Amino acid sequence: MSAEKKPAEKTVEIEGNVEGRRLSSKLLEERVQKAVRDGARRLHVTADGQHGIGGRIWPRETPVRITVSGPVGQRLGSMGMEGTEIVVRGSASDDAGWINCGARITVLGDVTNGAHNAAAQGVLYVQGSAGARSDTLTKHNPRFDPPQSWYFRDVGDSFAEFKAGGISVVCGVTPRNPDNILGYRPCVGMVGGVIYFRGPIMGFSAADVRQAELTDEDWLWLKENLKPFLKAIERGDHYGPLSKDKDQWRKLVANTPAEKAARLKRKVSVPGFASDLREKEVGAGGIFAPYISGDRSILPYITVGEDRRNKPVWENEKYSPPCAYNCPTHIPTQKRTALIRAGRLREALEFVLEYSPLPATVCGRICPNLCMQSCTRGMLVDSPLNIDRLGSLSLEIKAPEPAQKTGHTVAVIGGGPGGLSAAWQLALKGHQVDLYEAEDRLGGKLELCIPRERLPQEILRKELARFGEIGVNVHLKAKVDRKKFTEIAGDHEVVIVACGAHRPREIRFPGSENTVSAYDFLRGVNAGKGPKLKGADVAIIGAGNVGMDVAAQAFGCGAASVTAVDIQKPAAFGKEMDAAARLGTKLLWPKFTERYDGESKTLHFKDGSSMKADLLITAVGETPIVDFLPESIDRDKNGWVRVDELGQTTDSKVYAIGDATRPGLVTNAIGQGRTAAGIIHAALMQYDRMPEIKDPIPLERIKTVYYEASRVNGAGLAIGESRTNREGAGSCGAKDGSYSEQDVLADAGRCLSCGSCRDCGMCENACYWGAISRIGKPDGGFEYVVDEEKCIGCGFCAGICPCGVWEMKENL
Amino acid sequence: MEPVKRPDKNHQLTLKEFPYIIRWRDDRCTRCGRCTAVCPVKAVVPGVRVERVVSSEGTTPTPKVTRRVTSVVRQVNDINRYCTGCAMCQLVCPNEAIEPEWNPAHKFLHFKNAGGDAYKRGGRRNDPGLSTLDMLKFTRISMLTDPALDAGRHEFHLRTYLGRILPPKDLPLVAEGGMLAVDKNADIFVPPVRQIYPIMIGSMSVGALSPAMWEGLAMGVAYLNEEMGLPVVMATGEGGMPPRLLKSRFLKYFILQIASGYFGWDEIIRALPQMMEDPAAIEIKYGQGAKPGDGGLLMSYKVLKLIASIRGVPMFVDLSSPPTHQTKYSIEEAVAKMIISMSMAWGFRVPVYPKISGTKTAKAVLNNLARNPYAAGLSIDGEDGGTGAAYNVSMDKMGHPIAMNIRECYLDLVSQGKQNELPLIAAGGVGKKGNLAANAAALIMLGASVVSVGKYLMQATAGCLGDEMNRCNLCNTGRCPRGITTQDPKLYRRLDSSKVAERLVDVFKAADTELKKIFAPMGRSTELPIGMSDGLAAGDKAIADALGISYVC
Repeated sequence: MSAEKKPAEKTVEIEGNVEGRRLSSKLLEERVQKAVRDGARRLHVTADGQHGIGGRIWPRETPVRITVSGPVGQRLGSMGMEGTEIVVRGSASDDAGWINCGARITVLGDVTNGAHNAAAQGVLYVQGSAGARSDTLTKHNPRFDPPQSWYFRDVGDSFAEFKAGGISVVCGVTPRNPDNILGYRPCVGMVGGVIYFRGPIMGFSAADVRQAELTDEDWLWLKENLKPFLKAIERGDHYGPLSKDKDQWRKLVANTPAEKAARLKRKVSVPGFASDLREKEVGAGGIFAPYISGDRSILPYITVGEDRRNKPVWENEKYSPPCAYNCPTHIPTQKRTALIRAGRLREALEFVLEYSPLPATVCGRICPNLCMQSCTRGMLVDSPLNIDRLGSLSLEIKAPEPAQKTGHTVAVIGGGPGGLSAAWQLALKGHQVDLYEAEDRLGGKLELCIPRERLPQEILRKELARFGEIGVNVHLKAKVDRKKFTEIAGDHEVVIVACGAHRPREIRFPGSENTVSAYDFLRGVNAGKGPKLKGADVAIIGAGNVGMDVAAQAFGCGAASVTAVDIQKPAAFGKEMDAAARLGTKLLWPKFTERYDGESKTLHFKDGSSMKADLLITAVGETPIVDFLPESIDRDKNGWVRVDELGQTTDSKVYAIGDATRPGLVTNAIGQGRTAAGIIHAALMQYDRMPEIKDPIPLERIKTVYYEASRVNGAGLAIGESRTNREGAGSCGAKDGSYSEQDVLADAGRCLSCGSCRDCGMCENACYWGAISRIGKPDGGFEYVVDEEKCIGCGFCAGICPCGVWEMKENL
Repeated sequence: MEPVKRPDKNHQLTLKEFPYIIRWRDDRCTRCGRCTAVCPVKAVVPGVRVERVVSSEGTTPTPKVTRRVTSVVRQVNDINRYCTGCAMCQLVCPNEAIEPEWNPAHKFLHFKNAGGDAYKRGGRRNDPGLSTLDMLKFTRISMLTDPALDAGRHEFHLRTYLGRILPPKDLPLVAEGGMLAVDKNADIFVPPVRQIYPIMIGSMSVGALSPAMWEGLAMGVAYLNEEMGLPVVMATGEGGMPPRLLKSRFLKYFILQIASGYFGWDEIIRALPQMMEDPAAIEIKYGQGAKPGDGGLLMSYKVLKLIASIRGVPMFVDLSSPPTHQTKYSIEEAVAKMIISMSMAWGFRVPVYPKISGTKTAKAVLNNLARNPYAAGLSIDGEDGGTGAAYNVSMDKMGHPIAMNIRECYLDLVSQGKQNELPLIAAGGVGKKGNLAANAAALIMLGASVVSVGKYLMQATAGCLGDEMNRCNLCNTGRCPRGITTQDPKLYRRLDSSKVAERLVDVFKAADTELKKIFAPMGRSTELPIGMSDGLAAGDKAIADALGISYVC
């Protein structure tokens, strides 16, 4: 700067065209810059379309004034700086004042597209109109005054796009487009600054700006700045009309971010539109209203009451426990253990007599105890409850009191377990029962055939004595023939045939006439007339449970060896099998008998082998002797009496049970006797008979983890076990035959109470929502109930219930 | 008598066979039961567990055993109650104590056939990979070579035409008052054409969807048309439409579908005299992308009073539509007979087009339609389309990807010079990965005039939990935990139809912006770039070659 000469006052002329040759934009620029450096402060440029005339002149102490005539190129005064004043005598081309940084540019004509494009400071005065996209991207740097763009007439399309600051003024005097002085769609993307305009417009980017009236402050500014503008463009005479009326002017200002956000909000809310649509166009409740009844309000995911998807139901005793289900007599052991746990042992021992007259004999002694085989505890935890011992404990219990006499009469033919069971049940119900027994004592095969080792006679006698206390008319040595049967049938409303199976089945082979039947052999032994078998080798054909009883008895008679042969895998199991095996019975199979040589005492098999058999006993079953029945009662080809599932024969007043109908266990005969008695009782009394036994409980409902334990606790004992009863992990000392009251109590605690509420309260405590409570009843009973308005249907009650009582049901 | 048998648990499945494994945190759980109450399939249940601790408290070894039984939440290992991974448990848990975790080593399909029942489900093809559509990029970006447009600044007119467009030479045009007009006296059939938004809502039936969901979409469509100025149309799916809607002014926003079961059509025909408006179009369904060769199926437990009334059937019966239309024996006859019947019902004022599943044979159908003056277009539904109920094998293994199918059909039209005459509607997997606008734009540039979307909208508007990891996909069971595909009021009352409508508006507004963002840099603002395949490219050479587009890398 110091090298610069003192400013000269005279105007420096710069020619854009020298002797007919156009100066390049570069050369013209260099001459202008040099002239200014050389001190020129007044320049006149005669342009010939050069680019960027008058721009980029650094600020001096005094202004640099440039006048331009001739055709002006693009970007006149671009990057102009403070102190530069440009006056164009005519029109200018595109981008006049591009990135203006402070120059004052006056165009005494029109400007084409992009005027004052990106201007940041300075002033653009235009005497005419502007082209498209003028005032785009103008800025306002807070360090400086904002740029001003003044247009006397109108502006072209896309005006003030992305305008970020600065002031635009469009005076609208004799506009080229009299309908729209701001052109098509101005102000797209405009975020700052203001546009004052005077005259009609046809819309603007409403997303970005809004139209407003001028404030007094606006008007003051406009009037004050209008004067120099009009003076500069030589239109001072218009000051009066333009400044006359504020209401001729309007302004466009950018929306604030908050205003923009507010605009994005829908004018009509969707829910509002929807409800309006529902009510007015398609009808109240919407398009599906005619088909949907009931509440349609919104439900939360977690619901109570009727809105729950699932609800718990306390299904106490809905299912049978496996013990009761598998017992042919359906003795509900879970009820006995509940009584015992409640300290009512005696009632528990009495209770079983409602089901069987022979609990000590059968449950306690000879039954394979299907109840224990199926006991959930035995299945899934450790060992079953000692239900057999529990049966034995009822030995000394007195007979229940029979009900009041009904006057109905029933005859029972046969005093074996089936007949005893039926007679017992019917007599307790108050019916008059006549029992006919061919032998001189009751008991049937229990008395005649079961080895005394397995069933001590004292036990049977005691239970038969108790049987005698309930008023059954027992007719001993009363063999029934067809005539007698007719007589009995005539005297009674119902006859139950329980004659058992006493005719040994025969198998034919050479020498079979030299064999003895198991029935005759066992009966002889029990009657004290057993053969002397000291040192003898005994063979038994048939290795079922009867064969095992025979084997045990043969050893008892002194046999040196006993061999049971069978054509297939021996069917024997349980106590009979254990007893025979303990004594040394050998099993041989598969063996098909060819002949028995009575002379050499040799049994020959079809495979060519043979064995010594001093005595050969056939144990292949018995069939009933039912010659006494009339022809109207059907039998099958083997002689079994045909019955339906209720025990009724083809004569509707005659029922048949036990071995007379099919071979079975003693417990089956007792169960059938009880079932038939129930049906007969209901028929005589004209009651509706409900099926007694319910479906067995699915085992997965029982929560065995409550009972499962490591085999030892801290004291080296099984959990729930005491030092005194530790024999057999988890079981209660039954092995030595003793079964104390303490053992009974422990066993009752071990019962899983399958399907039957044990009143433990786990559910009540588990419920997070406090929806479950226990209701005690006057009779000492109880139930658990659910408060529907608290319950969410989560299933924690069902999940925690040890007994499988709570069930989650779909709440349809 | 045989001894009683011990239960056999040797054949139970381990949880490792299951597709989702529940991660339950004992330390966080309060046992409130919200998770087990909400689980749609009861895959999580309360239970009990025994704990045993051996400890010693003194300074000499003094063994002490403590045992306690605690309540827990556990996953069941019953294949019919498998955890679907829906995560409703996680949603309702106040303590972040439970969530399902995907098990990539599962053997679900090995076992999900108990009782000989082949696995049926809802949802779409279980392929979590990228579809062809998601592998396409828009590579022709105008900057200096063409005038670049600005998506935010320019005014756009993204519309398309549904209906057959006659070439100008075939139009009976006359000059009337200085303007061109159609000569009404000319004996030439000028097919009906609708100007619609290029993304339409694909066929989802009343029945497949709950009333809350269906009404939500219907309300949203009305709003889009009347408040947003977006002429979005919605196809009804098979199974009719409620008469209240048939008789309303909104009918014009709906495409009525007729399928092989003809359910609901007696009610539609009876409503004809009372219709204030014509429907947008009639869609004849011949196939569905999700289950090619299978007809519709609505299980009896979804056929309650609402569905029975609208479909004109008794309650509680399985409603299955035959795989093909009955009494139609050849392509020519089948298509022509249906199209002319449906055209007649509305006096030839309504565009009628068939919808087929994506197939190798699509071109044969297309060529037949090209010769049929009443055919208004062809809709092709690709393998990634969704469904409310289908056999898993049909969904996973049957069908044709839409990208190549639409491309082949479009190029076939081009070879006949008819690409501007018969619009193609593309569907099946649009928005599978969330890229609704990009997928739609890609299909348009491959040659589709309209893009139809269904599954994405269920996810985006109602929070459908389903995905391609076989999550949830319980649509066929009527147990939709969101209330979208169920007829059980306890479930569909979870869904607020006006929120669905609002989300539909959001989705279309955003997609509209995205479409502009895609089309503007390609210099398109007023005409859709239908078939503008030079703007598309694939990073996979084989795909690029198959589609006839550029390969870029």
